[in-house]
Amino acid sequence: MSSAGSSSDGDTGKIKVRAESVGKTFGEENGEQVVALKDIDFTIGTNEFVSIVGRSGCGKSTMLNLVAGLLLPSSGNVFVNERKVAGPGLDRGMVFQQASLFPWLTAIENIEFGPKNTGTPKEARRKQSQELIQLVRLSEFENKYPRELSGGMQQRVAIARALALDPDILLMDEPFGALDQLTREDMQGELLRIWQERRKTVLFVTHSISEAIFLSDRILVFGTHPGFVKKEVSIDMPRPRHKASKEFLQYYEAIYETIN
Amino acid sequence: MKRSTKYLGIPRDAWIRGITMVILLGIWEGASRLGLVSQLMLPAPSKLAATLGNLATNGFPQGIIVFTHMRVTIFRILQGYLIGAFVAIPLGLMVGQIALLERAVNPIVTFARSIATISLLPLAIAWFGVGELSKVLLITYAAFWAVLTNTIQGVRSLDPVYVSVGRMYGARGVKLFFRVILPATLPRIFAGMKIALGLCFMVIIGVEMVGTVQGLGALIQQSRWFYRTDIAIAGTVLIGLFGLAMSLLLDFLERLLLPWAVGLEEVER
Repeated sequence: MSSAGSSSDGDTGKIKVRAESVGKTFGEENGEQVVALKDIDFTIGTNEFVSIVGRSGCGKSTMLNLVAGLLLPSSGNVFVNERKVAGPGLDRGMVFQQASLFPWLTAIENIEFGPKNTGTPKEARRKQSQELIQLVRLSEFENKYPRELSGGMQQRVAIARALALDPDILLMDEPFGALDQLTREDMQGELLRIWQERRKTVLFVTHSISEAIFLSDRILVFGTHPGFVKKEVSIDMPRPRHKASKEFLQYYEAIYETIN
Repeated sequence: MKRSTKYLGIPRDAWIRGITMVILLGIWEGASRLGLVSQLMLPAPSKLAATLGNLATNGFPQGIIVFTHMRVTIFRILQGYLIGAFVAIPLGLMVGQIALLERAVNPIVTFARSIATISLLPLAIAWFGVGELSKVLLITYAAFWAVLTNTIQGVRSLDPVYVSVGRMYGARGVKLFFRVILPATLPRIFAGMKIALGLCFMVIIGVEMVGTVQGLGALIQQSRWFYRTDIAIAGTVLIGLFGLAMSLLLDFLERLLLPWAVGLEEVER
């Protein structure tokens, strides 16, 4: 299993996230049941960047929510740091697809939302949020409300907010899906930079094959109806990766064919 | 804020609005003076201005000056409005969060809200008499349902992603309520408060037509006995201006308290 790009950390290679024959069925109480996921098995190593790609309806977001603990599996188990997931935890930070910043808080207050809940003293909180807003390069915008920020800026703040509790694992649910192409590519570069600076384990959900290849150490290709892991692909390319390179396109075609 | 051209330091829109007003008043005044409309049925603006002056100095009826009427009216509205809102907001926040409760009371709320408050006047008089209590309670009724429905809807239309964010970042229970659910619902509550205020102004005039000689509604009602159309119109104009001022005040408060939400909320009537 490749962990290219990550790290010299001592515990690299240790398993961070493990899904064991996970299944999720919706609508269990009344009548019609929809099987979203069936028999999912995978592991993610420490500091590894793993993406899930697949068509809409393959249950990739559901899988992410199961790791987050926002949903619980109908069968099987999800483990994070070898502990069974029974709900959300501060060891996981999540970046959502749509604008999920609180409109009533400024950029910096949004970033401090988690630390405030855990009772971090104000000074420590401020110092840390200042660092984070610098990390996402939005220092001049710290006192702006979300609606005064562009979509790309909002997602940067959302990333900073996810990092504020210093989680081991970043869960990202198509975070750049609503951005225009150019902003999206900038954000991909930014994310890699932040990932390399902060050393996090990332589980990234996207329907863009090239985004997944550009970012990931490893890609889980999901099939549909119900969702299952159709194929695992390790991306053995040094970063930064060039989307027009021959190797990149070979990966692209292989994954494209798997999906179709 | 859009910036528009200014003339003599006054924005263009203000000129357009002002000139329109002057032209309409001019036509009205002219029609009245030329005898096209009866002075008795529709007194000219100049006559109304004189009436207003007279109401402010000599007063009507029984020498009650217009400022007393205004004070009495606003006091009645404020009592009923504040009681209604303060009961409706916590109740709405609770009902909105409990799906079963919301489903249970939904028909009742829709029913109660659809009743024109003024039609409850005879009942209120029978139960609580013709005094202040009936008046304030009817205002309370009008405000209560408007604020309640909007608060419930505000909670129910809360974007679930906010709750997910709250849960992911350590907010549960009381923290989740005060740091996520309540602020997310505030714009909608405010919208309900604005609607409620408008309703209160409609209701007050009706309830003041019975059992009192004080208040703008009473002023209008009393003018009927003396066939004083000028007083009826002047009173109506005052109510309109009063309502306008209150609504501007609420807009101002909203900008002050919820600067992030201005223009965000969808107002539903």
